[in-house]
Amino acid sequence: MEFALSEADTAFRSDLVGFLDRELADGWNRSEHGLGSAVYTDFSRDFVHTLAAKGWLTPHWPPEYGGGGQGAWQHFVLGEEMWKRGEPRGPQYMNVNWVGPSVIKYGTEEQKKELLPPITRGEVFWCQGFSEPEAGTDLAALRTRADRDGEDYVLNGQKIWTSYANEADYCFLLARTGSVSDGRNGISVFLLPLRTPGVEVRRIDGFVGEHSFNELFLTDVRVPGNCLLGEENKGWDIVRRTLAYERVGAPRYARAALVLDGLADWCRAAGLLTDPGVQEQFGNARALCEAARVLVYRVIDERAKAKEPSPMAYQARAAMVQAERAVGDLALDVMGSEALAEQSPGDAQFRNSLGAGIAAGSYEVQLNLISRLILKLPKE
Amino acid sequence: MDFERSDTQRALLDALGTLLNRHAGPQRCRELTERGAYDHELETELRAAGFLDVFGEAGAGPLEATLAVEQISAELGAITPVPHLLVLPALGLPAPEGPVVLADREGPGPVRYGSEARQILVVGADRCGVAELSPDDAEPVPSAYGYPLARVVARRPDDLAPGTSQTMMNWWRVGACAEALGMMQSAFDLTVQYAKDRTVFGRALGSFQALQHRLSEVSVLLEGVRWLTYEAAFRGATAESSAVAASHTMATLHRLTRETHQITGAVGLTREHDLHLWTLRLQAIRAELGGLRAHQRAVVTSRWEVTAA
Repeated sequence: MEFALSEADTAFRSDLVGFLDRELADGWNRSEHGLGSAVYTDFSRDFVHTLAAKGWLTPHWPPEYGGGGQGAWQHFVLGEEMWKRGEPRGPQYMNVNWVGPSVIKYGTEEQKKELLPPITRGEVFWCQGFSEPEAGTDLAALRTRADRDGEDYVLNGQKIWTSYANEADYCFLLARTGSVSDGRNGISVFLLPLRTPGVEVRRIDGFVGEHSFNELFLTDVRVPGNCLLGEENKGWDIVRRTLAYERVGAPRYARAALVLDGLADWCRAAGLLTDPGVQEQFGNARALCEAARVLVYRVIDERAKAKEPSPMAYQARAAMVQAERAVGDLALDVMGSEALAEQSPGDAQFRNSLGAGIAAGSYEVQLNLISRLILKLPKE
Repeated sequence: MDFERSDTQRALLDALGTLLNRHAGPQRCRELTERGAYDHELETELRAAGFLDVFGEAGAGPLEATLAVEQISAELGAITPVPHLLVLPALGLPAPEGPVVLADREGPGPVRYGSEARQILVVGADRCGVAELSPDDAEPVPSAYGYPLARVVARRPDDLAPGTSQTMMNWWRVGACAEALGMMQSAFDLTVQYAKDRTVFGRALGSFQALQHRLSEVSVLLEGVRWLTYEAAFRGATAESSAVAASHTMATLHRLTRETHQITGAVGLTREHDLHLWTLRLQAIRAELGGLRAHQRAVVTSRWEVTAA
């Protein structure tokens, strides 16, 4: 056991920190805004170009696809440093963490040539078309159809809670190519250009920070056969792998810890940080952030050793939810009515924390998986 | 970064496991508890096998000593592993024979093995104090919590070097975490097995989702305790890492105690069932160093440089 980064990884972190200190010198900290807010998204458009120029947008990708061939820890350090500062890459983390890697693993040469370079240059946004009105936590119940018509597919259905669909160029979309009774075995992945006729995006007014939800309506959307990723009806395997990336791909504890530091500053200024009760709540929240961090590190260690993703990722994900919730609760408890003011140090965190156990697989699903795969408790 | 045990660590813990198989475990713990005795035999065996020297040993170190404390505690070894394996070596002091008492600034309340202890370490404002104890210094306190307890009076402790109080507190915290981790894991394993074996309403108790979620949450907390504790030991028990680990450990201890007993039901409240062997001892660790709230406040004083409340 060893709990320190290698020299090379430490040097990378140090370079990165220096770079970010310079690039974000204007006191960039948008944690008071929700992830997905216009502030984030607008900033990220330019910022990712700068990152791409340094080779730090997709450093973990293989060199032949525009990456730097870096290892799992450097990839993770990059994400952690970004989230520590409020994630200035905005929605780009999806592209670089799992959309691109899925295309690299399952895509045809033609798809790789067309889709990967714009990601490595930071020129495109992707969104994720998984959930449907009748299929959220129970994702395999999805009903959006993709029917073959000659060389094409015709898509019909509806997606919901699609973050960034209003900004995105492409959607990593799940659709049913088999029958409903095939369950998981009748699902395929489509790489759908969102400007295709028949795609309609409608915004859903939400109150989780400034984050916007969207609905995606697909009416006789005709796409060529080369929009299919991997084999027909084998999409579930791709998604399983994709979600393994997503569960810990965003080190949300780092952002929660950033907000907690901001709250500590606020409490210090308000003369509250010496209050024993306030201190106890801070100690609890900090410990939960740190526990989430070490559990995520454990998963990254597995990835660095090229092991198959293990169920430990579910524990890490659950721990991150606990951390985000603790910081969100603390914000409202210690700041009193000051926390209600828009963009106060705790406002966005509280509202974001309400969604922490919902996105990327609900908290309860993580607990189900832990009980089945780790504790090996009998099925209900 | 490497979350797997090294060959050295595996070998060390295998050897320790073999030793503990002979000199610890629930049965031996029950026998010793009846006599209210400290396990001098186990201490002698550990000393002879070199486990008390692991902290400062080349090729091993504080992390390995912490792993050993965890394992001794999981197997209910009736000694004082935290002072012997962590605190005394961290202070550069030899580990005496017999129990050693650790006391915080408020002075010791009832302490484990107080009647038999020959040495006490006391946290001072800056310097840690060390004093010899005699049996006359101890007043036994009847208690159900697994350990023979006594109040002791430290007579004029000798002050150690400046800064030793913080060192002692930090390693004591890491040690308390390691002890609690070992005991909590044993109690948890016992409970999960019970949930699989026990049939209610015609099905396994552990097949009810309401209970599965509670056990899963405890497993998440417990894994957090494990890796925060190891990391704190690896980092040499900095003030912040040890306070963070202790804070998370004691919060987990609260939750785990409730859940293991709720799920095990009435049989878990009997002396016939082994669960109480860990539960009762865990509460003694919970009370040390001011308990959960003091650990949480220590996180704040170390991370955000605030004066202690």
